Amino acid sequence: MSGEGLDALALSIRVAILATLINAVVGIPLAWALARRRFRGRGAVDLLVTLPLVLPPTVTGYYLIVLLGRRGWLGAPLYAATGWTVAFTWYAAVIAATLMALPLLVRTARAAIESVDRDLEKAALTLGRSEWRVALEVTLPLARNGILAGLVLAFARALGEFGATLMLAGNIPGRTQTVPLAIYTAVQTGESSEALVLVVVLTLVSCVVLLAAGRLGARAA
Amino acid sequence: MTGLEVTLTKRLADFTLDVAWSAGDGVAGLFGPSGAGKTLTLQCLAGLIRPDAGRIVVGDRVFFDDALGVDLPPQQRRVGYVFQGYALFPHLTVADNVAFGLRARPRVERARRVADVVQRLGLGGLERRYPRELSGGERQRVALGRALAIEPALLLLDEPLSALDAPLRRALRDELRALLSEVGTAAVVVTHDFTEAYRLADRIVVYDGGRVVQSAPRAELLWQPASESVARIMGIPNLLHGTVIKATPDRIQLRWRGQTLEAVNSPTRSYLPPPGAPLAFFVRPEYVRLIRKDRMVADLGHHMNLMRGEVVADEDFGTTWTLRIRLDEPGPPAQGAWDLEVEVPHLVYEILEIERDRRWEFSIHRGSIHVLPS
Repeated sequence: MSGEGLDALALSIRVAILATLINAVVGIPLAWALARRRFRGRGAVDLLVTLPLVLPPTVTGYYLIVLLGRRGWLGAPLYAATGWTVAFTWYAAVIAATLMALPLLVRTARAAIESVDRDLEKAALTLGRSEWRVALEVTLPLARNGILAGLVLAFARALGEFGATLMLAGNIPGRTQTVPLAIYTAVQTGESSEALVLVVVLTLVSCVVLLAAGRLGARAA
Repeated sequence: MTGLEVTLTKRLADFTLDVAWSAGDGVAGLFGPSGAGKTLTLQCLAGLIRPDAGRIVVGDRVFFDDALGVDLPPQQRRVGYVFQGYALFPHLTVADNVAFGLRARPRVERARRVADVVQRLGLGGLERRYPRELSGGERQRVALGRALAIEPALLLLDEPLSALDAPLRRALRDELRALLSEVGTAAVVVTHDFTEAYRLADRIVVYDGGRVVQSAPRAELLWQPASESVARIMGIPNLLHGTVIKATPDRIQLRWRGQTLEAVNSPTRSYLPPPGAPLAFFVRPEYVRLIRKDRMVADLGHHMNLMRGEVVADEDFGTTWTLRIRLDEPGPPAQGAWDLEVEVPHLVYEILEIERDRRWEFSIHRGSIHVLPS
């Protein structure tokens, strides 16, 4: 594997891990709220979170540019204030991967939380727990395997992200080029052996991840 | 603790609960068909569902009062709730389940209370097991122990026996009854089985369609259902319809299937329908007397409400036989293919050779015909 290939692999893994961590922090509370709370705008939040799952990734990427690009709704004021833009940095790859992975975690975790017997939560309430403690001590531990499976899927999705990443982060070797982008570039430039190595590595990582998810899923059932 | 006062209204999309009842110390049974609002009432008592209006007072503590703006959250009510299916935490051991409500207590006291509950409920040796490793009866006791550990002001039990197999159910019913009177905590038991309600509760509140149709001490309910619909909910056999001939404060004469029957009017609330009015009544199957043919009685006339008929079907219930009797009268029988159900002990069935001998005379004492106000 070339130096650029190794760079791409290191970046891909770094991006996937960070995206998964952000997913855990944002996605698990979100899944709990969607499963257990009735709040205003719940339908809209559900739709917004799920959208990247059904839209072509380039469309999601386009929205990200509109939002975060140097002339974007949030990007322009940020650039005016700091002279810095997230576009075409590796942070952009993390943001794109996070957003694309979020629906997988939220949907899986939400289903797991919804399958927890509500009587267990009610019992905990009568035994003196606040709603917050009930979620921490009863709901989430019982939904644990489903949540872990969701995190594994999110990691796999983040690792393989291509379209949205290309739109927002670009394809700069050594800076924003992840493995999927490196494969695309290698094929385009006729470096078929480099492409093959990267394909095999990514396939192996994905297989390991899926096997882990399968085992967690089987234990959750 | 001086009783329980419950007034509730709760409107749901397809159901309205509108009940008012009270109970003294001891066990109150909420009895009625499924979907009558019994569990909803329990959840309102526990603070898990907020009623639209009403008032809930337990002893001297007001749990809920919409007029006063009082609504204690479930955490502050100190209510021990035994859920249908028990709702034991599957990821915690028996000891941790029992200790779950004791988190705020000092460690030493917590350990002592858990040990106390484990011992009282006979759960010794099971402390480190998980709920999935327990039998149905053990699970029930853990659920009960978890609820009792918090020393509840009120104990709520939702169909506490329905998750059990039939033989175990009877044994545990009596065990539960003994335990409830031993702990002495005021309790509300929900059940759709009248025998269960009768065995467990001192006072029974009958629910139907989101309303209370009768609330009475259990013995009074057994002998004096307030109406035909209550009797039907209780599943009383031989619920029959006749016509009034004459009603006086202590007797009612009625016509049924070509017979003239005499019944005792209710001593506490006598009922005086006009002649010709339709009248519902019931006869308990175990109070119908078969007249022995081997003992010649000088005057059959001393038997009250004498009738004649044929056993058209019989069923063995283990310790008793239920006979289905069709009267020697023209016209369709009162209950499908037969008129009356009669229950006799096995011994009587054998001595009288009922299996072979199907034609009988029988009588019903006037005190055993129970008239139902309409």
